[in-house]
Formats: sequence, C-alpha cells, structure tokens
Amino acid sequence: MQLQTDPSKNILILGIGNYLMADEGVGVHMARMFETEQLPEDVDVLDGGTGGFHLLEYFEQYRHVILVDATLDGLEPGTIRLIKPKFYSDFPAAMSTHDIGLKDLVGALQLLNSTTEIHLFVVSIKSIQEQGIELTAPITNILPELKKKVISLIELLTLKQPVLSA
Amino acid sequence: MSQRIVVDPITRIEGHLRVEAEIENGKIKDAYSSGTMVRLLEEILKGRDPRDAWAFVGRVCGVCTSIHSLTSVRAVEDALGIVIPPNAELVRNIMFCAQYMHDHVVHFYHLHAMDWVDVVNALKADPKKTSELAQSISHWPKSSPGYFSDIQTRVKKFVESGQLGIFANGYWGHPAYKLPAEVNLIGLAHYLEALEWQKEIVKIHAIFGGKNPHPNYLVGGMACAIGLDDVSGINAERLSYVKQLLEQAKVFVEQVYIPDLMAIASFYKDWGAIGGGLGSFMAYGDLGTNGYRDPSSYKFPSGVILNKDISKVMDVDLRKDDEVQEYVTNSWYEYKEGDKVGLHPWKGESKIKYTGPKPPFEHLDVTQKYSYLKTPRWKGHAVEVGPLARVLIGYARGREDYKAIVDKALTDLNVPVTALFSTLGRTAARGLESILTAQWGLEFYDKLIDNIKSGDKRMAEMSKFDPEKWPKTALGVGHSEAPRGALAHWINIEDQKIANYQLVVPTTWNASPRDANGQLSAYEAALIDTPVHDPKLPLEILRTIHSFDPCLACSVHLYDEHGNHINRVSVLGD
Repeated sequence: MQLQTDPSKNILILGIGNYLMADEGVGVHMARMFETEQLPEDVDVLDGGTGGFHLLEYFEQYRHVILVDATLDGLEPGTIRLIKPKFYSDFPAAMSTHDIGLKDLVGALQLLNSTTEIHLFVVSIKSIQEQGIELTAPITNILPELKKKVISLIELLTLKQPVLSA
Repeated sequence: MSQRIVVDPITRIEGHLRVEAEIENGKIKDAYSSGTMVRLLEEILKGRDPRDAWAFVGRVCGVCTSIHSLTSVRAVEDALGIVIPPNAELVRNIMFCAQYMHDHVVHFYHLHAMDWVDVVNALKADPKKTSELAQSISHWPKSSPGYFSDIQTRVKKFVESGQLGIFANGYWGHPAYKLPAEVNLIGLAHYLEALEWQKEIVKIHAIFGGKNPHPNYLVGGMACAIGLDDVSGINAERLSYVKQLLEQAKVFVEQVYIPDLMAIASFYKDWGAIGGGLGSFMAYGDLGTNGYRDPSSYKFPSGVILNKDISKVMDVDLRKDDEVQEYVTNSWYEYKEGDKVGLHPWKGESKIKYTGPKPPFEHLDVTQKYSYLKTPRWKGHAVEVGPLARVLIGYARGREDYKAIVDKALTDLNVPVTALFSTLGRTAARGLESILTAQWGLEFYDKLIDNIKSGDKRMAEMSKFDPEKWPKTALGVGHSEAPRGALAHWINIEDQKIANYQLVVPTTWNASPRDANGQLSAYEAALIDTPVHDPKLPLEILRTIHSFDPCLACSVHLYDEHGNHINRVSVLGD
C-alpha cells in the first residue's frame, strides 16, 4: 500500500479553491494563469477545484506537487507563505472553505506512505463570505508576485533556468 | 426536559443540510430537515440548447457527477424520440456499475464506517488475533499479523504527530462503539485500502468519458469511438484495462467490503430496530439488458412499496400528472396557484421566495417554511429512495438474484426480514447491491465485447441531432437509479430551446420538509425515536443520517434548553 511516484513526471502546479467564492478561489485563478503559459515538458498545471480525495491519483504521477490555496490566518490579506506540510498539523489553523478536503488529502497521503513532496503556497484572505468570480484588489495585486514565487520554486526544483522566457 | 440539537452545515463542497432534532428522555421526539442552499440549476438551464443540459446538470454534485448527465441525456433523447445504439447503452451501464462500486465503497469506509469503527481503539488490537479473524472471514490476501501491525504503527505515528487528521471528527471512546479492537483494526486497515482502490475504479469513467469527475456524455449515445486498433479511440488495450478494473472491483467488494460489513453488522444488530422511518419505498429502476427503453429488462426493477407491505409492489409512471408531484408548502418557493397544490415536474415552477430568518441564525422557525428543498410525493405518499428501496423492491418482486443475497445476509446475521427496515438495513442494502453491480458490470462488459466483435461499432445515433429536425415542442423525462436513489429530470423543449427543466433528486425525496398534510419525509421520520446516549456527542444521529448517504456536508451544533450554544462538532459527510 504505497503510492508509486512515476518518475517521468516532475512537477504539478495544483490550484485549489472555489472559483465562485471570490478570494477563496485564488488557487484556481493562479492555475488558470499558468494554463496559458508555455511550461517545461515535465511541469503540468491542474485546476483542482474543491476536490479532496478525487485528487489522490494525481499525486502518484509527480515527484513534486505545488499547491496554491487561500487561508484565513488573520495575516494581512495578500500575504504569501510557503509551507512544506508533512503532517496535518503543519497546516495553518484556518484554511479556506474546502480545508477538510485538502487536509484529509495530505493526511491520507501520509498514511499511504506517499513519496510525493508537497509545497504549499498559502495566500491570506480576509473573508470567505463573498460570492463572485472576481478577486478583490489586495489579492489581484499579489498575483504577479505569487506567480514569480511559484516559478522560482520550479526553477529551484528542476535546476533549470529560466522556466518562462518572458 | 427537551433539548434541541442542530445538525447544521458549514460551507463545504456539495451543499448544505441542517437537521434540528428535539431530544426528550434520551430519544429523538421530533426532527426537521432543511436544505439551506439554493440549487436552481433549473433557472440556469432555461433558454439553453437541450443538447448542452447534461454538462450543466452534471455539476450539481462532484460526487454523483455522471449520473445527472446520464439522466439528462435520457430526458432529451426521450423528448426527441432518439434510440441510442447498443454499444452506447452498454458503455453507459458499465460506467454506471463503476460509479456504484466507487460510491458505495467510499461511502462505507470514508463517510460512514467511522460511525461504527473506533479508530483509537484499533491501536489496542492484537495483530496476531486480528490476522486470524481476518483470515476466518475472507480470502483477501493482505491479512498477515505483520500487515496489521504495520497499519497500527503507521496510524500511531500519525496520531502522535499531534492531531488525528482525517480521523479528527470521530467520537472515539463513545460507549455506543461496540466492536472488539481487532474488528476496529480490520476496519481501519481497509479504510486505507479503500482509499487506494477508489482512485482506480473511476478510471473507467475517464476511459469512456474522457475525464473524471464529470465525464462527457452525448445526446444520442456516447462521445467515444470504438476502434480496436486505433491509438486514440476505445481500443483493445483500453477495453482490457476496463475489464481488469471491473474484476479488481468485484474482488474488492466480495473480499473486503462485504466481509467487513457483515462482521461489523453482527455487533450492531440492535440497529436493525432503529431508524426505520417511513416504511414506504420507491425505485424508478435502471440497467436494462435490452436497453433503457425496455423496463421489463431492468436489472434494478422499479416500483413502490407502501407501509412495509412487501407482498405488494405498485408501478410508477413518471409521465402521469398525478403520480410524482412536488409541493412547496414548507419550502422557500411560491407557486402561481398557491402553497397547497402539488405540481407534476412538466408543469414545475422554481420561483424562490425566501421567508426564513436572516442568516446567521440560531434556529429555524419550523412553523413556517423552512427549506430550499421542495417536497416530492408519489400519489401523495412520502417515500424513501435509495439502496434499501431498490433491494426491497427487487426482493418483493421475487427476483432470484435479490432473494439469494438478502436471504443469505439475514441468515448469516440471524435477524428477521423486518430488520431490513432500519439504519442497519439501509447500510447493509448498499453493500448487497454492490455485490450485484459488481457482477452486472462484467456482464455488460462481455456483452459490449460480443457486440463489437459482431462488427457493430455504432456509438451514437445522430440522425436527430440537428435541431432543424425537431418538433416545435417536445416533452421528455429521463430517469436513473443514482447511488443515493431514484433520480429523474423532466424537460420541456420549445423552439429548439429549454423552456422548462426540473430535477427531482434522491436527496430531495429523502431530506425534504413536511408536505401540505404534515407528513414527514424520510430523514425526519427515520430520526424519530432514535436513542441519543449523550447529546454532546450525538453519534446516533450521524449513524442514521449517514445511512442514507446524504449528499452534503454537515456539522453538529448542540444547544441547551435556553438555546445556548454549548458544543459544536464538525462531521465529514459527502
């Protein structure tokens, strides 16, 4: 009972969030930005939506998964942090509305002895009460910085430069 | 002293359900079930192309996914008089069986088992004894003492890391947990095995439907081309992979799910007398061996049983104006003709009129309208839908395949047939029909191969796909047996567009509010008289509500008699 990592694939950028819940959907917005980019062959992008266990099978295909998600951690909206969650307790206290799914997923990966490395970018948001597909200004403003950080991480992981020509 | 427990949603993935229950002398005296989120796909669909409807309705849920799409294309095909080719029928049926096994196994292990299996207690089990027990109930090869002790070590490490993680929501140590530590350990080990397995079986949906969740459907058939030597089509290699997945699934159901279900059930026979509820059941039927349009060939027969009388099964006609009707007496909608009338879905209306309290609120006023779910009735009767309804109707219709599995289960557990009308019966029925769907999936697969070998490669009937060929107006109804129960979509097509579309879904039948005559629906009825040992840890409520496989996430809030919030426990549903 061990998830096998397929060495042919290297990195998955996995955006998580509810696209209909404004800032909560920042991970999905990020994934959509990357979908239009020319990425290296061994880097894939996935809009993971609010999925929980459904996403398990993707983890076995990659050596690294870069998760992007929103969090309600009380920090200034737009704060970006990189966490390497190994255990359930490594997550911020309040993840976004779909936190159970994502935390469960990481818990399950650990129990299944997964060898995939998870890199979690969390973006602090103010509220999950709003509905809509538009991000608020503080979150929109940090998107370029978030994208840069994701790219730097990919470069670090692949030891290739640069990831994007632009 | 009566206390009110509120089972309320937090925002999760598939929707909102809230149950308020009055507890008196350790038992539930009254219960109210409320849907607090608007679905309203009906309005989104108005004016759209009927051929696109499946893609919209599929998104009603991320767990049932394909079943709404299937029901939708059936409704449109019915309206336009399209008969799909045998290959498409067979592919749809294979996907259906795959979904059943996935859905039922995931429900049992990941959404319901922890209501019966005490994870923390499993850490106390003796691996050697666990191994002996496991080998006495199943041939499943992973059963050595080392295997079980490895599981214990892994979970122990997990627990010691600070939090219980995925197991954080259980009422561990609750006196209503009755299993020996060794059975708990088997349940825990197979929770993890099921987690691994479930991601395999859904690949069948990706093979035939291009992706999962939300595989692709097509009005007129399926959007996958048969080409045995074609690299990108449904070729010989993919077909043999489908067979392999179906065979693995059958082994998993027979050697893991069913032995576990029976072992666990044997310690909870008292739940064969709790949570029965309405005692009236309905199924629309599905899985025709001679096609969807021939109900006499259905593997899942249709019918209605009233008041636990399994000597009589009545027929259901979804087209008749006076059979299936929806009421809004206690729902946040308004009908043109007022709150007392029931409307057949072809005349259905979805005009919202919210009159409930302004959120966030503590309690609902249940003397007024209290839910966004409408209240469907069959000839005025409240009926339960789902695995128990299907199994009882198959049994009552005298079908040998149903009789064999039901009688064996009753004999093995040494319980009377009346024990089926219960929380335990509902949970057992889900397992029993999984045995059948595991067999049927392979039967449909063999038929598909035979049909392809005979030279038939047709996968879609496209002669009426062009709207130019449609009548000016058309009415259609499509039905299915979703894992959670009878599902149907009704469509009115006018001038090539959707003029009206109504979904009446299983959870609406089961979780709806009272009707115009004050009759309770299935959830509400099933909770009445359920014992609650400790209102702070209402495990028993979860057992009964989870036995329906509710399509929602819920969290339990508890209030004392003054309405003060004294506890809150989150519970993962799906």
